Amino acid sequence: MVELRNVSKTYANGTVALRDINLRLDKGEFVFLVGPSGSGKSTLVKLLLKEEDATEGEVYVNGYDVTSMTRQEIPYLRRSLGVVFQDFRLLPNKTVYENVAFAMIITEALPKEIRRQVPMALALVGLSRKANMYPHQLSGGEQQRVALARALVNNPALLIADEPTGNLDPETSWEIMKLLSEINHRGTTVIVATHEKSIVDAMKKRVVAISKGVIVRDQEKGLYRDEDKNTPVLY
Amino acid sequence: MKIRTLRYFIKEGFINSYRNKLMSLASVLIVVTSLIIFGVFVLISLNAQHNIGIWKEQPQLQAFCYQEIDDIQVRRVEEIIKADERILSYEKVTREQALERMRERLGKDAAILDGYGADIFPVSFIIRLKDVSYSSEVVKDLEKVTGIEKVSYSQDTVELITRMSHWFSLGCSVMIIVFLVASVFIIANTIKLTVFARRREISIMKYIGATDWFIRWPFVVEGVIISITGAILAFIVSAYGYKAVVDKFTQDAFFAQTNLLSMLSIESVWSRLAVYYAVIAVVVGAAGSFVSMRRYLKV
Ligand SMILES: Nc1ncnc2c1ncn2[C@@H]1O[C@H](COP(=O)(O)OP(=O)(O)O)[C@@H](O)[C@H]1O
Ligand SMILES: [Mg+2]
Repeated sequence: MVELRNVSKTYANGTVALRDINLRLDKGEFVFLVGPSGSGKSTLVKLLLKEEDATEGEVYVNGYDVTSMTRQEIPYLRRSLGVVFQDFRLLPNKTVYENVAFAMIITEALPKEIRRQVPMALALVGLSRKANMYPHQLSGGEQQRVALARALVNNPALLIADEPTGNLDPETSWEIMKLLSEINHRGTTVIVATHEKSIVDAMKKRVVAISKGVIVRDQEKGLYRDEDKNTPVLY
Repeated sequence: MKIRTLRYFIKEGFINSYRNKLMSLASVLIVVTSLIIFGVFVLISLNAQHNIGIWKEQPQLQAFCYQEIDDIQVRRVEEIIKADERILSYEKVTREQALERMRERLGKDAAILDGYGADIFPVSFIIRLKDVSYSSEVVKDLEKVTGIEKVSYSQDTVELITRMSHWFSLGCSVMIIVFLVASVFIIANTIKLTVFARRREISIMKYIGATDWFIRWPFVVEGVIISITGAILAFIVSAYGYKAVVDKFTQDAFFAQTNLLSMLSIESVWSRLAVYYAVIAVVVGAAGSFVSMRRYLKV
């Protein structure tokens, strides 16, 4: 599903963001990517989306050889996965429905398909009744649900979320995380970059911890912090 | 490209140009200006060609006899003209007719001719040639005929007009190029503003997997909308303007009588003008968008 082999990323200004990363995700997994701010989580997500290129190593996502793919192929890689961000990234002058439908319009989907898929995606995130509202009329949690519906509307095999709860209060954060877990139970592979300690600890999923660009721990049913070793984490 | 996608691009193009009203308007005005200059050039050229064509088709010479020769000598000259194979037809202008024409031409000033008789005018022959290429040799031969004083030669006029229209074209071409380039750049600049206004939207589109062309097309449409609007306005202005000029021209007594110049009717030029404007508009609009995208839309 997702594989990184000996991946390193050094930015143009010389910052080493990732160092010799090896990571493998199988179909249907749910993975938390944890680590303090600046540890390289977002960089890893950017490599998966080919927003940034790996300086070294190989990246495979959904059967795409991301490392060697051309610019023209990038949109098709991105269509094969769904992505949500901390800042929701909704189009302010489009309604909830239109925002979600837009992800299908760009793939030149049939209108019939759009009319079928969009309500389903909205129902999945519990926003059917707010379809005709604009993003500014919604709470943060609701906006993130719209972003989730948009990420899911093309039925991607992989969902990537970079700090999806970073702008939300704890209660709403919980709801979003539960929703992500539910999406995972329906068969979608999910990667969540976060530093929500309590949620990570409670959900008992696979945890990949990054520190200073290096994977320091990869644990099934893990916790945010490795209690046994008492690894100091700065945040 | 699917029809619904095309519809989406066109809709977005309109939204873009509407959101960016002021710059769109400025661009439209530049396009209108360029196209009107171009239109004036085209219309003048078409009319010049039309008139040159008429003159060429009816190569006319006028051979003037000496004023003092008598009718017998005039008849001898006439025989020579009649016998010339290269001459299609001729018309004799008697002294009386020449006086009459002069009176007409002078109009209310004709009084100055009072007291003079027709005998102050020479007899002349208006000659039509079978082909314009004979002009110079026929002129040379006629000038040798005893009794003929001089031959006026309308080929000179044709050459003058041809040369003038050549210089005119050159001047206009330079202006047209300057204005078209200005149009391309102002459209590019307008689109740059839209791109900046929509850069967040563009980045979101990229994240959800829109192709480069899917992102670019609305901007191309925006450029074409601006230039097509300009073309429509320019067409209306130049068509009405031209019609007004033609109306004034046909009412002008001098041109109506002399038949020296004729103008093409608006009916015979509008379709050509419309096609030129449409083609230029699409090219200029698309070029503006492409310039803008090369510079500002690194998707
Ligand atoms: N575009 C960039 N250019 C240079 N350095 C960057 C860039 N993006 C991130 N970094 C640096 O890379 C490191 C990892 O950042 P990031 O991946 O955003 O961490 P995280 O998402 O875990 O907070 C940080 O030191 C950050 O300053
Ligand atoms: Mg980050």
